[in-house]
Amino acid sequence: MQLFNHTIKSLESALNATAARQNVISQNIANVDTPFYKAKEVIFKHELEKAIAIQAKKTNSKHIDFKYHANRDYIIRTKNNTVMNNNGNNVDIDKEMALLAENQILYNALIERLNGKFNTIKSVIRGGK
Amino acid sequence: MSIFHSMHISASGLTAQRLRMDVASSNIANVETTRGRYVNGEWLPYQRKMVTLRADGERYSFHHFLKKEVAKKAGSGVKATSIVDDRTPFKLVYQPEHPDADEDGYVRMPNVDLLKEMVDMISASRSYEANVTVLNASKGMLMKALEIGK
Repeated sequence: MQLFNHTIKSLESALNATAARQNVISQNIANVDTPFYKAKEVIFKHELEKAIAIQAKKTNSKHIDFKYHANRDYIIRTKNNTVMNNNGNNVDIDKEMALLAENQILYNALIERLNGKFNTIKSVIRGGK
Repeated sequence: MSIFHSMHISASGLTAQRLRMDVASSNIANVETTRGRYVNGEWLPYQRKMVTLRADGERYSFHHFLKKEVAKKAGSGVKATSIVDDRTPFKLVYQPEHPDADEDGYVRMPNVDLLKEMVDMISASRSYEANVTVLNASKGMLMKALEIGK
């Protein structure tokens, strides 16, 4: 068994995705008055995998799987199909502010967990002293 | 993408909203200005100004769209591209004693609508506040990230 196991990796990828979501929310709110700006959103990897739960039927080993962006923690998508304002902008400021609060709490929680993990390891290294 | 990217984005939003505020105050200050520009030996009234905004980093070339689809980045904030004149006609006011009145006694007044300016001002200040909130949130997250491994 290794000292730094899968937990730290998972937390790290979640932190990356949350930081990216923070950037996207900042961008959306900065452009709340920009005509024809379309809002962006971050989709986390596990959500992505849930959405693409079908298997590709492969008749050749060189065929590409449906599992897409598997090496990334998240993807950024532009929401093109809605209109919020009469200037072509679709930033829903209330939704963005709610998402901002949620994102902040998630980020803090992830860091708390990461610290908890490190403290566990520290405690083991010290031999429980 | 640097750590401070989201703070830079919010800062660009703050700059853009502050510029909108500046332009709105200029419009309100000049609501009665009959001598705005001197053109061909005659004074023109002040013309209402407007700010045009654009999402920064958005250009309209094939290369750009291709790169955008492949890389899927968050973008880099907002940019005020220009300050344009409002082309609506000037208001005519009957005031024969005014120094800038024409032969019939009419004065051309600026095309500034106080109500529009007030709405613009409130909109700019609310958007400014939203950007401040995001900036503080990003700051809080960065401070929290410094606690990793403490």
